[in-house]
Amino acid sequence: MAGKKESTFINMVLVLLIVTLVASAALGGLYELTKEPIAAAKLAKKLKAIKEVVPEFDNNPSEEMYSVEMPTGDLLEFYPAKKGDELVGTAVKTFTTNGFSGYIWIMVGFKPDGTINNYSVLEHKETPGLGTKMADWFKPTDPAKAKASVINKNPGKTNFTVSKDGGDIDAITAATISSRAFLDAVQTAYKEYNKKMEGGNK
Amino acid sequence: MTHKENFLKGFFKENAVFTLLLGMCPTLGVTSSAINGLGMGLATTFVLIMSNLVISLVSSQIPDKVKIPSFIVIIASFVTMVDLVMAGYVPALHEQLGVFIPLIVVNCVVLGRAEAFASKNKLVPSIIDGVSMGLGFAMALTMLGAIREFFGSGKMFGVTLFNETYGMLVFVLAPGAFIALGYLIAFINRVRKA
Amino acid sequence: MNTKVLVAPSPHVHSGDSIQKNMYGVVFAMLPALLFSFFYFGLGALVVTLTAVASCYLFEFLIQKYILKTEVTINDGSALITGILLAFNVPSNLPIWIIMIGALVAIGIGKMTFGGLGNNVFNPALVGRVFLLISFPVQMTSWPVSKGLTSGYIDVETGATPLAIIKEGLKNGQSLSSLMDKIPSNMDMFLGNMGGSMGEIAGAALILGLAYMLIRKIITWHIPVAVIGSVAIFTGILHMVNPEAYAGPMFHILTGGLLLGGIFMATDYVTSPMSNKGMIIYGIGIGVLTVVIRVFGAYPEGVSFAILIMNAFVPLINVYVKPKRFGEKRK
Repeated sequence: MAGKKESTFINMVLVLLIVTLVASAALGGLYELTKEPIAAAKLAKKLKAIKEVVPEFDNNPSEEMYSVEMPTGDLLEFYPAKKGDELVGTAVKTFTTNGFSGYIWIMVGFKPDGTINNYSVLEHKETPGLGTKMADWFKPTDPAKAKASVINKNPGKTNFTVSKDGGDIDAITAATISSRAFLDAVQTAYKEYNKKMEGGNK
Repeated sequence: MTHKENFLKGFFKENAVFTLLLGMCPTLGVTSSAINGLGMGLATTFVLIMSNLVISLVSSQIPDKVKIPSFIVIIASFVTMVDLVMAGYVPALHEQLGVFIPLIVVNCVVLGRAEAFASKNKLVPSIIDGVSMGLGFAMALTMLGAIREFFGSGKMFGVTLFNETYGMLVFVLAPGAFIALGYLIAFINRVRKA
Repeated sequence: MNTKVLVAPSPHVHSGDSIQKNMYGVVFAMLPALLFSFFYFGLGALVVTLTAVASCYLFEFLIQKYILKTEVTINDGSALITGILLAFNVPSNLPIWIIMIGALVAIGIGKMTFGGLGNNVFNPALVGRVFLLISFPVQMTSWPVSKGLTSGYIDVETGATPLAIIKEGLKNGQSLSSLMDKIPSNMDMFLGNMGGSMGEIAGAALILGLAYMLIRKIITWHIPVAVIGSVAIFTGILHMVNPEAYAGPMFHILTGGLLLGGIFMATDYVTSPMSNKGMIIYGIGIGVLTVVIRVFGAYPEGVSFAILIMNAFVPLINVYVKPKRFGEKRK
């Protein structure tokens, strides 16, 4: 190949400068272009998780979000869902540290009276095949398994601990620790939610 | 080497995964399903083609002593582009592949082809090399992903073939990746010998 | 005429040992534990054992005959041992198809992939067991409660193992002394009256098997003593430091698969070191890893993982702790 550049100091500096300059310009441009779609994708994901757990609403819950700091320094996030001016439910992003390995993040939807409308598991590191079952276990469609369900139950009235510990909810087979952790996260959310509701702030 | 030979080599004779055993980190890390393997393979293919293209054009202007740093900057730029575009337009797949997208930068296949092929060849062969190596890599990852998905959760490209309770979870986890890859390579070596 | 004379280096004296003789000796030593498991788990134990042994033979035959196309050596007794050990390591209500997968993995991946008996790095039965444990965690951790000879096969009442009870209770913030009331007494555990896999529950029967193998010189004392001794010492120290958080040595020795693993699985000829010193290092490694996994790890039981990890170290141990050369003078 003819015209191979010599490795002189000035050549090296120049080449690296040009390469990095072009690269950063290209990336900067692309960043500007993709900024909006990325933000939109993130918001859509959050809204989807909220929609899944509360009744139909027409406001933007992310804008009315408020949060409570927990002793661990993590935030419990509350997303009020409203239809017109009426509160139809609140999605609470809650967590527990009692999982089999690390944090479990759950989105729980409460109706205004405190009963659970639905939930979805956002993030966890539980054992595949055992703890991972919590995504569906606590909302069974089979009426024979109604005791495992948390849907339409009120943590203030029903004992939200696993039946092994004298509670009213059936734990996941062979995954009692994950089940306890899940219920712990739901209870945390309910307690804070209740405080807010009784305080009458919202 | 004709263009045809150049194009075919990446699938079998010089397949990055089965023959050269390069790029093992994404190969083992993301192939828990066929779709993940395919997505990762195509993302890598894009980076390979673009970096081969650019590097074959500019390599004569780059002094030897700063060759590797320049190549890395070029590769990293394309990887970041893929990362940004995927985050914006296919967020679900982007989340699945997670940290492995930025890690394409250190995938030996990409730098290896840049150094061993693109910097020494003209534009057209370099592009063909990128396509070939990339698609070969994508093919290997998709095969591995399909095997793991099938045995692990009874699905193929997300279509349920048998009840999930009969799936062997180990194939979805890391040890299953090693076992499946080992047997796949053994099988391919046997076919090659025959 | 074939006039070739075979010339081989010493030793020329053969002790009369053969693979077969030793293998069937081990099988004989496992009989007490096997009978105990039939006695405790009834029909289920019988079904599981027969399935495991039959599938091990079948897969070994098929792989040798049709895939490797080598001499079929299924009569050397090693498939029988792998089959029984695999059955010993699983609950007695495990469905047949899962046992068959376990046997295929044990023989196919654990043994034949490495080149058959003598070349395998890992204990085949344990490879099968760990594969099943990770793949089917629900089925592999639902232990049937012993109902004696009348126990059924699939639909049986299940309960937790003592190790799982302790692990879960401690995680839930209960104190060790309150948990101790929930588990069987040491005597019950020694006689096998607890939840667990088929072969691990009856300590007495396993020790009987150990005694037989030691008397018949099938194995030496080094590995079992090193494994059990190091567990006793390690848990003893932990127990002394904080009796409320760590259970005592007797508990750890009698529960889970420690006796089964230390006596029958860690001592497998192929996958353990050759020299006595090496065996002790290997045994201590297993003991310490077992306690670390049981006490600090995610799983309640760690014997099988510990043995597999130490299996991987055996070639290294063999290089550094060489057996004495035959005929060399004692220093």
